[in-house]
Parts: sequence; structure tokens; C-alpha cells
Amino acid sequence: MSQKNRIKGGLIDRSKEIKFRFNDKWFRGHPGDTLASALLANDQLLVGRSFKYHRPRGVFTDGSEEPNALVHLRDGAYQEPNTRATMVELFDGLNATSQNHRGSLEYDLLAVNDFFSPFLSAGFYYKTFMWPKAFWEKLYEPIIRSAAGLGRLSMKDDPDKYDKGFLHCDLLVIGAGPSGLMAALTAARAGARVILADEDFRPGGRLNSETLELGGMSGTDWAAETAAELASMDNVRLMPRTTVYGAYDHGIYGALERCTDHLADGGGKPRQVLWRIYSKRAVLAAGATERPIAFGNNDRPGIMLAGAVRSYANRYAVTPGKHVAVFTNNDNGWRTAADLVAKGLEVPVIVDSRDKPAPIDLPGVRHIAGEAVMNTIGRKGVKSITLTNGKVFPVDALAVSGGWNPNVHLTCHQRGRPTWRDDLCAFVPGGDLPVGMAVAGAANGSMTLAAALAEGQAQATAQLDAFGIKTKAADLPQAEDEPREAAAFWHVRQSKHRAWVDRQNDVTVKDIKLANTEGFRSVELLKRYTTMGMATDQGKTSNIAGLAILAEERGKTIPEVGTTIFRPPYTPVPIGALAGRARGKDFRPYRLTPSHKWAEENGASFVTVGNWLRAEWYTRPGEKGWRDSVDREARAARTSVGICDVTTLGKIDIQGKDAGAFLDKVYANTFSTLKVGRVRYGLMLREDGICYDDGTTARMGENHYVMTTTTANAVTVFRRLEFARQCLWPDMDVHLISTTDGWAQFAVAGPKSRDLLRKVIDADHDISNEAFPFMACGHVTVCGGTTARLFRISFSGEMAYEIAVPARFGNSMMAVLNEAGKEFNAAPYGTEALGVMRIEKGHCTGNELNGQTTAHNIGLGKMVSQKKECIGQVLAQRPELTREDAVRLVGFRPVDRDKKLIAGSHFLNKHAPSDMEHDQGWMTSVAYSPNLGHHIGLGFIKSGHERMGEIVRAVSPVHGTEMEVEIVSAHFVDPEGERLRG
Amino acid sequence: MADFTLTSEPPLKGFDHSFGDTRLHAPADLAIVSIALPLGAEDAALKAFRSAFDADLPAPGQSVMGKDDTRLVRLGPDQAFAIFTRATPDAEPHVQGLLNGAAYTTDQTDVWSGLMLDGPLARTALERICPIDLHPDAFAEGAAARTVMEHLGVLILRTGPTAYLLLSASSSAGSFLHAVETSLLNVT
Amino acid sequence: MIIDHPLLGPRDAAEFVYLGDAALIDRPDWQADDAMEQFHSYGYLRDNPAGQHQELWYHEQGDRSWLVVTRNTVTHEITAVELARDVARKRGRGK
Repeated sequence: MSQKNRIKGGLIDRSKEIKFRFNDKWFRGHPGDTLASALLANDQLLVGRSFKYHRPRGVFTDGSEEPNALVHLRDGAYQEPNTRATMVELFDGLNATSQNHRGSLEYDLLAVNDFFSPFLSAGFYYKTFMWPKAFWEKLYEPIIRSAAGLGRLSMKDDPDKYDKGFLHCDLLVIGAGPSGLMAALTAARAGARVILADEDFRPGGRLNSETLELGGMSGTDWAAETAAELASMDNVRLMPRTTVYGAYDHGIYGALERCTDHLADGGGKPRQVLWRIYSKRAVLAAGATERPIAFGNNDRPGIMLAGAVRSYANRYAVTPGKHVAVFTNNDNGWRTAADLVAKGLEVPVIVDSRDKPAPIDLPGVRHIAGEAVMNTIGRKGVKSITLTNGKVFPVDALAVSGGWNPNVHLTCHQRGRPTWRDDLCAFVPGGDLPVGMAVAGAANGSMTLAAALAEGQAQATAQLDAFGIKTKAADLPQAEDEPREAAAFWHVRQSKHRAWVDRQNDVTVKDIKLANTEGFRSVELLKRYTTMGMATDQGKTSNIAGLAILAEERGKTIPEVGTTIFRPPYTPVPIGALAGRARGKDFRPYRLTPSHKWAEENGASFVTVGNWLRAEWYTRPGEKGWRDSVDREARAARTSVGICDVTTLGKIDIQGKDAGAFLDKVYANTFSTLKVGRVRYGLMLREDGICYDDGTTARMGENHYVMTTTTANAVTVFRRLEFARQCLWPDMDVHLISTTDGWAQFAVAGPKSRDLLRKVIDADHDISNEAFPFMACGHVTVCGGTTARLFRISFSGEMAYEIAVPARFGNSMMAVLNEAGKEFNAAPYGTEALGVMRIEKGHCTGNELNGQTTAHNIGLGKMVSQKKECIGQVLAQRPELTREDAVRLVGFRPVDRDKKLIAGSHFLNKHAPSDMEHDQGWMTSVAYSPNLGHHIGLGFIKSGHERMGEIVRAVSPVHGTEMEVEIVSAHFVDPEGERLRG
Repeated sequence: MADFTLTSEPPLKGFDHSFGDTRLHAPADLAIVSIALPLGAEDAALKAFRSAFDADLPAPGQSVMGKDDTRLVRLGPDQAFAIFTRATPDAEPHVQGLLNGAAYTTDQTDVWSGLMLDGPLARTALERICPIDLHPDAFAEGAAARTVMEHLGVLILRTGPTAYLLLSASSSAGSFLHAVETSLLNVT
Repeated sequence: MIIDHPLLGPRDAAEFVYLGDAALIDRPDWQADDAMEQFHSYGYLRDNPAGQHQELWYHEQGDRSWLVVTRNTVTHEITAVELARDVARKRGRGK
């Protein structure tokens, strides 16, 4: 199809042709076109169907405020719904399809909704689909869901890449129209670090859409020259295609840069980048958005905002028709008429709602003053317009201007309220701007070119002055103040037909009146009841008219009625951009243990523990399920020797003259008395007396301790220690640093552990039971001189050691230990066998120290020293926490030994009812004990320590199970601890 | 007794890759020792520091080069890192020997994994992950900062006009390398 | 938000961890006669001002310092940032 609506001039490159598809039909456009301008050029006025009534709709604006020309862009998994055709730069091979119709765009089956419109008014769903109740989920909602909505998702993973980033500047200028360019130029020439961001791909803002002159040249040329100067400066970052979508605290702005959306092939680079911009100051020069007037059937394709019509004619060399009428309430509409006439197009009539003479002389254009357009005829386009005086004009397009709204959105992102200006009939930024922000140009209500330029310069100067950068007084380019007089005129009362206010959510004047009649009088209620302004365009072209109509109905002024709150984002931000690169396996970082590689090579399965990947078991040939492996590993450690990478436990290096005294304060028990070369179990409480963490701490030297924490709490224990050190006892000489990743640490557990270690530890270190007894620690060397630390500690309950080497040797050390252990049938074991053995031994982990239990509950009440000050000691003594009948940690075994215990089961006495009132406690941990040959469990039960041998019921309503269990000691294996000391 | 030998395998051992003229590599044998100044004996520690490294400890957020190519980084009021090249796992006793008991020392060599990023794309790539302002006016040569990149704690040092040393936890070195590589790929 | 660290300059709040009211520095005397009551107040009772508030922030992804930040809870304006250690000493805390 030829570009029959293409006219002369414009900022498009006619030397090149671009082929693109819309609804599987090929069209042609030029570089410089948007999808919207190219569709208009090809006389494709019908672009989509409306949200509710499935009315034919076309391009309405030329910018990001577009409510109607929403399309699916690209195809397959790349398909993106609700893309504004006015913001899509044309590229070769572009593929777009229209949205929200069943059947073809031309013959939408759901257009039947339009005939039922009397029934589909505001609140329709609330009123209609109330009964019968059961119909909602099964019938109503599925039907409404399939009929409503705009674009469709591809339902496939988004294959595009996204990224994020951080930028810093002295001055952020938002918007590259005349005011923004002038502000950026002023600041840049003064040497400030400037970021100039604009959502358009071509800097200049309205200058590219108008025929204004400044500095003795065309506005377009001035914008291009200024942008080129800015681009050449090192201290300036010019960011076209970048929408600043939110203003946050302390000068932080969110911005979305569309990097490859305009390219046929993005080259594998991120499609969009979400920037966090740190600015010392900002100038908001976001311009203004034109608003329409509501009249009957004002939503047909071919009816557009007057400024947009001008923009398409001047910038894109496109017209929606050959006979374009203008309907306006202000001088601005006249400029559209003038520019169209200058392009050789026919403007049959300009209807001005103001009863006053023409502001400019336009020969050949009929001026009708004091009247309005009341209705339009047509279906997929305009055929004629009917005026309030009854006159009918055949036209094929209509340009409408109801005045301009300053884009105040970002001024309100921190709860700022805009103020009303009667002379503009619009809200302008209020006094409570985000800190560091100034507003210039049309966004500030300075609606004319000369005023916008001057204000851009003045605001930049003032902003830089505030932090000591002096600007040179540069000459402002010569420009004129174009006529801009306006009169309030929101909707045509005489219209008998539906008059649209919110084109995207299909909200009409009647809906707003109805909402008011039904009592939804506050703007916030009006918005939610009618859904006005709640679509993806956030009511950029509709909100003010809606407020005006509400105000009129209520007999109040617009400022009295007030506005709804503007929140980020200014325009939609794809979820993909918010996620950035954090998706799939890169959702979060992962941490590997030093022996990860060895574990991978030796059949390990891995479990995620926080960010760590830990070996949970090592499968050997012939093993059919995880239990085979875990049972074997736990048995190996009890009968010969097992090896486990325990590097993930937090290690904190603590040094200082007051290190011992400091530990006394942060642990419930005492550490200052610990001898050098010895280790002690430590229990840490929260200040409220609840157990927080536990672990062992070794005294490596007079002023040097090494603390271990649980894997889960490594970071927060460190944080608490720093709090104690800096905020509670600031004069203690104590220094903390994490060494978790520095040492590869391995538990070597089992009766053969010493024999194994003797093969690895250099012979000059005596590790006999006498020289290196249970709870000893010290420096040793391994494998011929490599530095290592040895701890005689045991989580498994066996004779056991933990040996640590610098992490770089960790993988090798794991191999060496296993190689050296071969003669003992040594087995590496994972977290599951570790868990089995600690349950067999009655040791606590996070299941028991779950943030609800005290030292008293776990049977360590005596450990909380009352002789010295420590965190948690006072509140741990609260009567409720030290009750005699409090729950106690004990062991459980099934009466029927073949039964499997269930963690989370609650305990009930034998004949008691199964309710919370009779609850006795709960099961915290369970495991199959390969050493005992049946399941075992740990749990808390009231006065458990005095109830050994009693049979109670373990009930799990979640699993629907109940079984009898016997209360036993938590130490299932070696209750006297003889093995540890062997 | 059978002889067993340990092999040193730091996580990014030998990594060296160029993206155009920008090189990303894991420097070999980077040794790091943390130095804590004892409370109340800071002056003696600073004096020992000077004689050990022939340099004064700079202000927090700065680093200087001391003797034997030792980079001295002040991280906070009472904490500094000495970063130097040493293959053997005895960096801490070495530094403690120089300071002669005037400060507390902890070996940090294996806690961290180093990446050197040098070239024209370095700053542009770091923009994608680093919240710190790296403009030369704000982050001059020698500047140092601990911050967070892609959820990981990172110590970033500017060691040259376009050169940055990035230290992150050794257990997550793979994830951090991926973050830096992705940034470079995204900006080339 | 940006917290202007007294030693390191402005840093993004993302580097910090928030704890709460700086009154947590004023930990009661464990040996006082009414220690239980004092610790109860210390642990559970906080002012919740709409306006200026002194609060503890921890520079976890930074130099590990605890800071006392004076922040307006209504506007987020930060008017003072001090090292918590200095504040604790000023409030009479020692060993």
C-alpha cells in the first residue's frame, strides 16, 4: 500500500525505506517514523479495539500518554503486549498486531458489547455478578477475564535480556525540550556533571513538532545543534529513549533506558536498562500534555489531539486526513489549523468554544465561535461532525484541543500536591517538591517558548549555585512568546451520545455522573469505582477532565475536589527490567564450599543452604535412593571414619585485650576462663532471653579467640557482635573479622579419625588423646608443612576433629583425607548424615533454636551465668520462661518401631482430646537412625525431663497421622559421652 | 606414613580474559592481611606501621603503596588491609613479624578472591553493578570502598587510571566473576 | 535513601541494615534492683515519633560501623549521622 497520507517536509529520512508488518500486512515507512506515524502515513487509522466496548480506536496522541494505539510488538516469545505505537521507533521487519478483539480487527465479535453499553456502565460488574455466589468463580470471572484486558502475554519465558545500573551526576535534567536543553546547556557549560534524559529518540521535545523559530533558526535545528554540543562534552551524558519514571528520596531517580528496542537485531545486548540515578540536584522539564474535550462519539479513529496532529504534520510529514477540522478552547488549536494550511491541507472549519474573534487570521478556514462539536458520524473513521448549532461538516479527521496540563507527576512522587492555576485551567507543581528538584518550562506552567528557555536557564543556574558551581550568564536564544490564551471547557453538555473521558478504560461522562449520583464523590472513590485513570496510561489525557466533570456535578471548584495521587512509574516499566539480570540461575549469587569440585566428582547431590550449595549425600554405585547413601555415611562415621566439609559454619576471628571479657558478655556462659588451646561450647541469647545461636569458640592465644556460628546466623551474629562492641561496650579493646571463607574446615569423625589424621598431620604434632584431648585446639601443619588448625570437637558424638586449612587447599585436602582414609573405609558424608548423627546425639540446630525456645527449654538453663553480665540474662529469668512445667527437649521413639515419625507432630497425652488446649509440645527433628535401626525424634514436651518412659501420642493433623511414641533421653547414642573422649 | 601433597586451587586461579582492550584477570598470589589497631595504643601501632611499610596509614576510604609493593588500605577507624603478592600461605605471620605485636593481624588471603579490571571499558562495565560513584573526581587513584554489587560485598580499589582491583568473598567468586563478565559483555 | 557516612561520605541505604531506635544504646544496669522492669522497657517499649528520630543503622556492606542517624520519619530528611561508638561513649558507656 502506498503512503497515501504522507505529506511534504518532516524529520524523516525519505532516502531510506523501512518495511514493516501490521496484522500480517506489509507497509512501508521511513527512518524517523514511529509505528504510529507510519500507520497513519499508510492510512491505517484503525489500530485497536477499546477495553470494554470494543470500539474501533486509532492513534490519539504522539507520545507516551497514548491511550488507544496499543499493539503487540514482535512475535513468539518476544511478543510484548500494550506497546504504545506512538513510542515505537520504526525498524526494518517490525511486526505488530492489534489487540483486544475476537476475530479480526475490522470485524470484532465482541463489538456487540458496544450495543449493550447501557448495561455496562460504571460499577456494572459489582452490581451484576453478585448472585448466585457460586457462579462467580466458575462462570462470571472466566468469561470476564477472557473478554477484558488489552494485550496478551506470550506465556513463554521472556528471552530478552535486561540490565540495571547506577549513574551519578550534579544535575539531572528530565526532558530535552527547549527548557531542558537550555538547563542542560547552562549547567554543562559551567562544568557540572549533567545527565539529560528524554523519553523520545530525538532531543527537542515540542520543538520538533512546531514551526517555531529561535536564535534565528528553526526550533528543530536549534535542538539538534544544542544536543550535538552537549553530546560532545565529557561532563554530559545525553540519554535519549530514557524515561525518568520515579523520584525517590535524597535525589535518587529511577530511569528506564530502551537500548535496543528500536533495532531489528539487538545483537544480544540488554534490551532495556533500569538506571538508578543519584543526583545532587534535578531540573524537571517534562513539558505538558494536551487534553481533549469530551463530546459525543469523540473516540473514533481520526479524532486526535490538536498538538499531535501538528506533530504528525510537522515532524513526521503525515496527516490523518485531507480535510481536518479543529475543535479547540484555546489559541493552541489555531496553530494546528495554521500549520495544516501551510502544508497545503484543507481545514474546513475551526470550532472555538470561546465566543471571541480569531486570534490569528487564517484565510480559507471557516471560524465558528462560541459553539462546540456535539457528535461525530462514522465507524472506523470520521465521516462528519455535528456542531451544537446543528451544522454538519463532512471531514475525515478532527483535531481537538482542550488545553495543556503541565506534567507535574514527578513533583508529586513524594506526596507533593499540585496547585491550580486559573489562567492555565491546569494544575502546576506545588511548593512541596521533592528535595533538590526544580521545575522549568511547560511542566511548571511556563507555556511559551521564550518563558521556557529563560526558566530552564534560571533553574539550572539556581540549582548549581546551591552547591557552589557558578554558571556564566549565557545569552538566551531569541524566541517569541506564542499566544496561549485558554478558557475552561471540559465537555459538551448538549451531547446526547456517549462522550469518552478515559479512552483506555472506556469511561464516559455519564459514568462519572453516575458515580457521583451513587455517592462515590471523593476523587479517590471516583477513580476506583469508574476505573478512570487506572489503565496503563494512568489517565494522562483524562484525569483532569474527569475531575472537572466531578467538580461541576458537585458544584465545587476543581482545586476543591482535588487530584488523586501520582505515584511512580510515570510510564509502564516492564517486570523484566525490574528483575534485570537476576533471573533463573542468576536470581541470586551462590557460594561454593572449598571441596565443591571434589564433591561433584564423587557423586554428591547438593542442597541449597542460604546461598551455599552443600553436599547432602554422596551416592555410590548400587545405591538406589538417598537413604541408602545417608545410612551408609552415618554408619561409616560411627564405625570407622567419616569426613564432612563444614566450612559453611561462620568463623569470626576475635582479638584484643578484652576479647575474653567481651565473649563473657555476648555468650550466656563464661569464656574468659577458657585456657589457651581449649574450645568451649557457647550459647548465645537474644536480649529477650530466647536462644539465638550456638557454636564452639576456641582460644587460640591469650588475646585471640576463634568463634564459630551456625551457617544460617553467620552474618547476623557478626552484626550483633559489632553492635555489642560499638554501641554497648565501646571501650573494650576487641576486634572482629570474618574468616568464614578463609579456612576450609572438615569434620573428621569416628573411631578411626585419629588414625586417619595421623597420616595427614605432620609427625612433629602430637595428637594423642593425652596431648590433644577432647576440646583441645591448636596450630598444626599438614602434608609437609602447610599451616592448619586442629579442633577436637564433635557434632556427631564420635571421637572427632575438625581440621582447617587455608581455603585454597580445601579441595585438595578433601581428596587427601579420603585417600588417606581408604584403608579405614572412610566415607565422605553430607548434611543429611550430619543431621542424622546430631539427632542421634541430641544436639540442637535451628529446628530446636527456632526463636521460641530458651536455655531452660533445651536443658541448658544452668549455663546462663548469673555471676557476670551477659546479653539476655535478665529477661531469661522471667517467671514464664523458667516455669517448672515448661517444655523440655527430649528424645522420642515410636512404640511400633517400624513407624516413621513426622516432624511438626504435636504431642498429646494418651487419653486427652486432640486440641490445642491439651497440647503438650511438638516434634522438632526426626530421622531414621541406621545405628538403632528405627526412626528417632527430638522434640519439646512439658516437663519432658521428668517423663522418661511415658507413652504419648504424636498427632499431625496436617498429615492425618497419629501414633504412640515413647519419651526417651535425647542422647540416643553414647549417652555418657565416652566416645568423644576416647 | 604415606606422603600426601596439597595443591593450591584458589577459585578463579588463572582466569584471564580480554573484552576488546579491557582485561579482566585474577591476579596470582594476592595476599591480604587485616590489621586492627589496638584501642588506646593506636599511636604505637601507627608508628610500627610506618616503620614496617615506610608509609603512613591513609584516611578511611583511601589506600597508599608502602614498601615492597604493599598496598595499604584503610577500611575504617581501627581497621586496615595490607595487600601484596606472596605465594606461600604465611602472609599473616609475615605482616605480624613486621608489626612486631603492635597491632592485631588476621589472615584474609583466602577469604577474598581478587579480580583486576583494567581498560577503557572498566568504568562503563562497573556502572552496571557498582553503586559507588567512580568518576575520577569522586574516586581518585588510590581510593577504596567497600560496597555491594549484585548482592555481594565487594572491596573496590582504584589502582590506576582505568584499573580497578575488586575483592569479593572467595566462596562466591564464581557468581561475582559472572557479574563482572556479564557487565562487560553488556557494554561491549 | 542516602546516608552521609561521617567517614566515607554519601552511601546508598542499600549498603546498610536498619535496627531501630538509638535508645538501644542505653542498655540498663543488669544489677539494678528493678533490672527486670528496666530490661522489659528496653526490650519492648519504643517511642514511635512522626518527625525527628534517632536510629541505628549498620553499614554491613561497608566499613561495619554502627551509625546513629537522625532522620525525620515523615520526610526522610537526615540531619545528622554520627558513629554510634562516639554516641555510646558520650552517653557514658564504656567497658
